[in-house]
Amino acid sequence: MKTFNYTINDELGIHARPAGLLVKLVSGYQSATTITKDGKEVDAKRIMGLMGLGATKGTVVTVKVEGPDEDEAVKAVEEFFKGNL
Amino acid sequence: MGLFDFMKGKKGIVLAAPVKGECIPISEVADPTFAEEILGKGIAIKPADGKVYAPVDGVISTVFPTGHAIGITTSDGVELLIHVGLDTVQLKGQHFNVIAKADQQVKTGDLLLEADVEEISRAGYDTVTPMIICNSDAFAKIECKTEGMVNAGDEVITCTK
Repeated sequence: MKTFNYTINDELGIHARPAGLLVKLVSGYQSATTITKDGKEVDAKRIMGLMGLGATKGTVVTVKVEGPDEDEAVKAVEEFFKGNL
Repeated sequence: MGLFDFMKGKKGIVLAAPVKGECIPISEVADPTFAEEILGKGIAIKPADGKVYAPVDGVISTVFPTGHAIGITTSDGVELLIHVGLDTVQLKGQHFNVIAKADQQVKTGDLLLEADVEEISRAGYDTVTPMIICNSDAFAKIECKTEGMVNAGDEVITCTK
């Protein structure tokens, strides 16, 4: 299992577009990815879950990746967060 | 027994138009997030007014703090997103008056939000309003209306498990 914490830097946070792109990204890996905010954990393959987090600027989220390709997947997800959020 | 009865027998889940206006193919929406169905399959309406109603009975799962988008989950497990306008997250709530609250139970036809579509348009935003089934993969078939004028409450999507 791989995890990292990330502070949302984007002013608009995880809204429809980044949520959609994140789902698309993690769906390309076998590993399961979850995002946790304030104890609420959601599956990163679920648009509605991601948007329901209400992760806006300044929010700290914990990303957890677990599965056979977790090394690759966590790298891609971390890059996505840095580039988009 | 007509075709409609037959379809009813198949237990399709019917979703109504959330807003009055003109249906266009989702592929013609000027935002790839919707046009390429990254969020899922659905419809798009060019709104004639800004009154957005519940398209189905369900629970409000998400209300964006900016008021431009609302998520609803139905008892059949349909996860719906209504997104008023494109890039309207940038308006940060301006020109939106949200009535629905998160976790609230709603019935088809309940008023969810009011958007000042004229002002949104004047501010330079496309007011086209997609309604997307976020968990499209959970359904074997999703039929979407792609043209013609609709009133809020008219059937626009039928999905079958």
